[in-house]
Amino acid sequence: MILFEEVNKIYAGDFCALKEVDFHLKQGEMAFLTGHSGSGKSTLLKLISLMERPTTGRIVINGNDISHIKGNDIPYMRRHIGMIFQDHRLFMNRTVLENVGLPLLIEGYNQYEIKRRSLVALDKVGLSGKEDYEPIHLSGGEQQRVGIARAIINQPPLLLADEPTGNLDPKLSLEILSLFESLNEFGMSVLIATHDLGLIAKMRYRTLTLKNGEMINDGLMRERNG
Amino acid sequence: MAKQNKNLLSGSPRITKVSFLGRVASVFQQHFQQVFSSFSELWKTPFATFMTILVLGVALSLPSVFHVLYKNTVHVTDQWDKASEISLFLNKDISEPRIQVLINKLELYSDIDSVSYISSHQALEEFKEMSGFSKALNYLDENPLPDVLIVVPVEQAMNAAGSKLLVAKLKREQGVELVRVDIDWIEKLQAILSVVVDIVIAIVILLLLSVLLIVSNTIRLNILNQRAEIEVFKLVGATNSFIQRPFLYAGAWYGFLGGVIAWLLTFGLVLSLRSGVNNLMGLYQTQFQISAMSIEEVAILIATATFLGFIASYISVKQYLVKIEPK
Repeated sequence: MILFEEVNKIYAGDFCALKEVDFHLKQGEMAFLTGHSGSGKSTLLKLISLMERPTTGRIVINGNDISHIKGNDIPYMRRHIGMIFQDHRLFMNRTVLENVGLPLLIEGYNQYEIKRRSLVALDKVGLSGKEDYEPIHLSGGEQQRVGIARAIINQPPLLLADEPTGNLDPKLSLEILSLFESLNEFGMSVLIATHDLGLIAKMRYRTLTLKNGEMINDGLMRERNG
Repeated sequence: MAKQNKNLLSGSPRITKVSFLGRVASVFQQHFQQVFSSFSELWKTPFATFMTILVLGVALSLPSVFHVLYKNTVHVTDQWDKASEISLFLNKDISEPRIQVLINKLELYSDIDSVSYISSHQALEEFKEMSGFSKALNYLDENPLPDVLIVVPVEQAMNAAGSKLLVAKLKREQGVELVRVDIDWIEKLQAILSVVVDIVIAIVILLLLSVLLIVSNTIRLNILNQRAEIEVFKLVGATNSFIQRPFLYAGAWYGFLGGVIAWLLTFGLVLSLRSGVNNLMGLYQTQFQISAMSIEEVAILIATATFLGFIASYISVKQYLVKIEPK
């Protein structure tokens, strides 16, 4: 699903954000990506979501080598990656239904199909009946669920979440994580970037740890701690 | 862990895949929706939109007003040009039979429509009547006025060039002392008009350029204001063409509405000028009705304005939108 082979990312000024990173996230696998600020988490996610290109090395997503992907192909690749953000990145002047249906609108689905599948996605994340609200009138947890519904509506095989619980209290954080678990049970690969080690420790999933751009650990957090 | 279940969100036993025809229909539907949604987007900031459209309308109305004025001026000079007659002043010693021979000869000219004869006696009587100096004129020993032939050229020879040619031929006729045609001032007017047209073309180009800049800048600001939205669109897989469409349509709408305002302003100006022009033309005994823009001209104005708006928007989109990348 995600394959990194000796990936380096060097920014202008010879700043090395990622050094020789190797890992493989299999299809249907769920994992955490952790590390302190500046460890390279965001760079790694940007490489997967094609916001950045690797300086050297090879990245394969969903069986496609994206290391040298053409600019015109990027939108089509992104349609197979569901992305969830800490700040939700929702359109506050549009309804929840319009926000969730956006990926389908882009793919050219008709309004009937967009509405039908949006309602199913909202039901899946526990937001039935909120479709006509504007996100501004929802709580932070609900807004995050809208973001998740938008990310999963076109059933991407891979789900990326960048600090999805960053602005949520512990109870809501656990609810969101259990939502990811349920999505993972349906076969989606899930990679969650977070620096909340307490939250990771409560879950029994593979954890990739970055430090100064290097992958210093790849395993279960509980195993590593204990 | 990896349980494959493709029915995660379908809500039905199997996800409905959109057929090729369905996608084509959907693309048209999207275009249709984006055309109208971009129109309603404009009115989310009604004051700014109205001001922009008004500026565009004024900028576009100047070329259209110039066009209407030019069209009407050409129409007027055409009328005056066509009304021109050529006066042949004959030698004092020419005999009546010789005059008749000359009339017969002139009537055979292909570029002469009619020839009428005013004898010197008839001319003097008319002059006495019109001038009010009849008593004074009675003291003259002899009639100082010559016999005159009034030549009306055919339609094709009524323009300045045709008249000139005819005058040259008439001057060569025996018994003709002087040929007068009242066309010099029309030629001067046409020369002035030609210079004015060149100046107007330069002004029109500058105004159309200003329309491009106004729309382009408005769309640039729209793009920059919606930067965050554009980033989200790109993150969820929207292509540049999908994202840029509403901006292109908005540019076209600006142009279209600016064109409509320009037409209304031009029409209003023509209406306000109509009575004044009628009075002026009455003084010259000319029947002339100032004409507004025809339907074809209005269509060309609005289509050109729409096209300019689209092009201006396209420039901004290529300059700014394409370069926005999610961070």
